[in-house]
Amino acid sequence: MIAALKYEWRRLWSIRATYVVSVAYLALVGLIAGLSIFRGHPGYSISWKGLYGTPAFILCAVIISVVAAQTFGHEYRYGLIRLTLSEFPNRSVVILAKATILMVYILGMTVLAWSLLGLIGALAPQGVVAAGASNMSPSGADVSALWVVPAFTIGYCIFTMSLTMITRNLPLGIILPLLLATFVEILLTGLLTMISSHLSWLTNNLPMTNAMAWISGQGSHHGVVFGGWVLAAFAIGSAVFIKRDA
Amino acid sequence: MRVDVNNVDKRFGKLHAVKDLSFSIEPGRVTGFLGPNGSGKSTTMRLMLGLDNGAGTTLFDGKPLVSHKPVTRVVGAHLDAKFFHPKRAARAHLRMLGAEAGITNKRVDEVIELVGLAGVARKRPGGFSLGMGQRLGLAGAILADPQVLMLDEPANGLDPQSIQWLREFLRNYAAQGRSVFVSSHLLSEMELLADNVVVIARGALVADESMSDFLARATNNTVLVRSPDVVRLASVLASKGIEATIAGEGAITVANVTPDFVGEVAFQAGVQLSELVGQKASLEDVFIELTESGQDYQVGGASPVHGAADSQVNS
Repeated sequence: MIAALKYEWRRLWSIRATYVVSVAYLALVGLIAGLSIFRGHPGYSISWKGLYGTPAFILCAVIISVVAAQTFGHEYRYGLIRLTLSEFPNRSVVILAKATILMVYILGMTVLAWSLLGLIGALAPQGVVAAGASNMSPSGADVSALWVVPAFTIGYCIFTMSLTMITRNLPLGIILPLLLATFVEILLTGLLTMISSHLSWLTNNLPMTNAMAWISGQGSHHGVVFGGWVLAAFAIGSAVFIKRDA
Repeated sequence: MRVDVNNVDKRFGKLHAVKDLSFSIEPGRVTGFLGPNGSGKSTTMRLMLGLDNGAGTTLFDGKPLVSHKPVTRVVGAHLDAKFFHPKRAARAHLRMLGAEAGITNKRVDEVIELVGLAGVARKRPGGFSLGMGQRLGLAGAILADPQVLMLDEPANGLDPQSIQWLREFLRNYAAQGRSVFVSSHLLSEMELLADNVVVIARGALVADESMSDFLARATNNTVLVRSPDVVRLASVLASKGIEATIAGEGAITVANVTPDFVGEVAFQAGVQLSELVGQKASLEDVFIELTESGQDYQVGGASPVHGAADSQVNS
């Protein structure tokens, strides 16, 4: 397992895309927080907790999910999966190593993002970032607990990685969760609500709808539903990865 | 290390790509893997490495590959010249591949030097030629100094000097007691390289034997004879039930006999000979003879023999 972790770590950091995505992610987090703080309307104020909730914005998650999609997307796009599995014939080890390194990467990036936000907060005009101010993050989410920020990002990225395992397609892996969040689930909810009110159990349990509700501070039960979808996608992705030819 | 391939079998839908194949790869020898396009060579190699799911087992010194640690010390595989990220530098690519066996940077640099990529080690391989891609693939395969080398068409795209280098390298590798399993369409090259051959056609085993035994299977081994009196020699041979064919002025060819035999017949009949040459069939002749009926994709506008052959079989 250690060898597989080392392999995945070297894979991650030996391509330029990882550095580009990391910088883009930090830049976006900084831009969203910085614009609100330095260019916000007069009287704008935000709590430290609200400020640290910035990385949970869906656009930030989409940026960092590119790395998640690449974990398997690059393997299939360039035929590297055959080299990887020649070295690690036990496919479960490959999945675990990739998921573990991805989580470590996201946690590291979250810490970096929080450090950047701390710097921005320290440079903010007096009174803009203040204890006791609104917990509403610059993206409009009501930040209830900070652990939700990395938990959501990890969940979103594992979901992306799992969809890439299933589709074996890098762009689809990135686009599908975003499409679900911004289009498909909204359309589906609208249609199903029009058809019958008895279908609310379905609309209430859609993955990205619950993820958005969770990071907006509408209750941890939404996080549980989203987590369930993430685990289901991961289980299906793992099963097809193990079952299919490389 | 001995490799035993036992009853390996694979279907892609209706296409039976690999049919119950069993053969062995011996240590200290180069084993050539031959077959027409679409015969299932690459699929067989993938099955051996566990990359494709199928029936049968492949044992490396009596154990499945997954039981060995580190795997790259057991088998090094090079299946395609384009299996790399185009923007990951060649050296970084090899460092990544070396992680499993704890390969040092020094060894990575040694191998880069060995395959002749030192000048482009820090370059992105996206712009590499096919030959350079082959070298990078070979470097990945030999990085951990494995007991078994499995190479799929490693000579494709290499220039003549590189092919010669590859031949010597693989022969030396096998001479150190290791196993080399290599597929190639360059039959003349394979004739020089391989000690043993495994031949398949339409996924089924055609031959698994030493190169000399395989070549001896040829039915078109002939003897060329030149003589001032070929007509008399031909009639003497005919009286012994041996047919001769005219091969130009004052020359005949005689099939399925040895030069010694023809020389003795001529001596006893008092026929003067000016030339007596045994003409052995080449690997190409024997290969074509044995696999002609098993070709899926033939030149000359012919359609695939069985239309179910799909593009998943990449041999």
